[in-house]
Amino acid sequence: MEETDTYHIRPNHQDKFKPAVVKECVREIVRERLSGLRYDPEEVPELSRSLADCIKDKVKSAGFDRYKLVVQVVIGEQRGQGVTMSSRCFWDADTDSYAEDVFMNDSLFCRVSVFGSYYY
Amino acid sequence: MDYYETEEDSALTTFNVEEAKEIIRSAVEGVVGGNVYQHSRVKQWNSSVIEQCLSQLNKLGKPFKYIVNCIIMQKTGAGLQTACACFWDNSTDGCCAVKWENESMHCIVNVFGMAI
Repeated sequence: MEETDTYHIRPNHQDKFKPAVVKECVREIVRERLSGLRYDPEEVPELSRSLADCIKDKVKSAGFDRYKLVVQVVIGEQRGQGVTMSSRCFWDADTDSYAEDVFMNDSLFCRVSVFGSYYY
Repeated sequence: MDYYETEEDSALTTFNVEEAKEIIRSAVEGVVGGNVYQHSRVKQWNSSVIEQCLSQLNKLGKPFKYIVNCIIMQKTGAGLQTACACFWDNSTDGCCAVKWENESMHCIVNVFGMAI
């Protein structure tokens, strides 16, 4: 019999984006890199970029097959100002998901969100 | 029989940064405009900016998944830095960020578009 092509329409259960796993990755990296750090405007641009890259690599290696990943890092200085952040997504709620984690110390706050979108 | 021109095809399946920026700018100006930072109203502004961006993006009718993120921060001289790293198909997917400010607040909107 002739072989037929197969297409992935849905991720296997073990390949699915798991927010809890991702959150744990993020938490680990952020705690390690930011604890005890003070907000320094000179260093923060580089820091946020390398943090985003590092998290992306880590999540990639956690093996969510066929997922596109978006990692967003926001680092802000704590000066008692008001900040509101929110996200909204237009996607396939069955397959796509996100994880986020917030870190704070006396001098800065950091919010990391990771979005995973399945590529059919 | 359906006929697709390749040029139109690629315009349809790639993320247009300029188009997205225009949508964001008009959404932010329409919602926040000349308002002064008010804690009780910020949440509302935030969600309407996102709502408007998403609905305008959807009206483009492209086969894309979108992520819209909006940050509104009171101006006190405090610093804020955002960065993003993406793992996707560079030829079709894209992101754009718009910074907007008035006397009392900063507003940063990020849009990510991922082709299906």
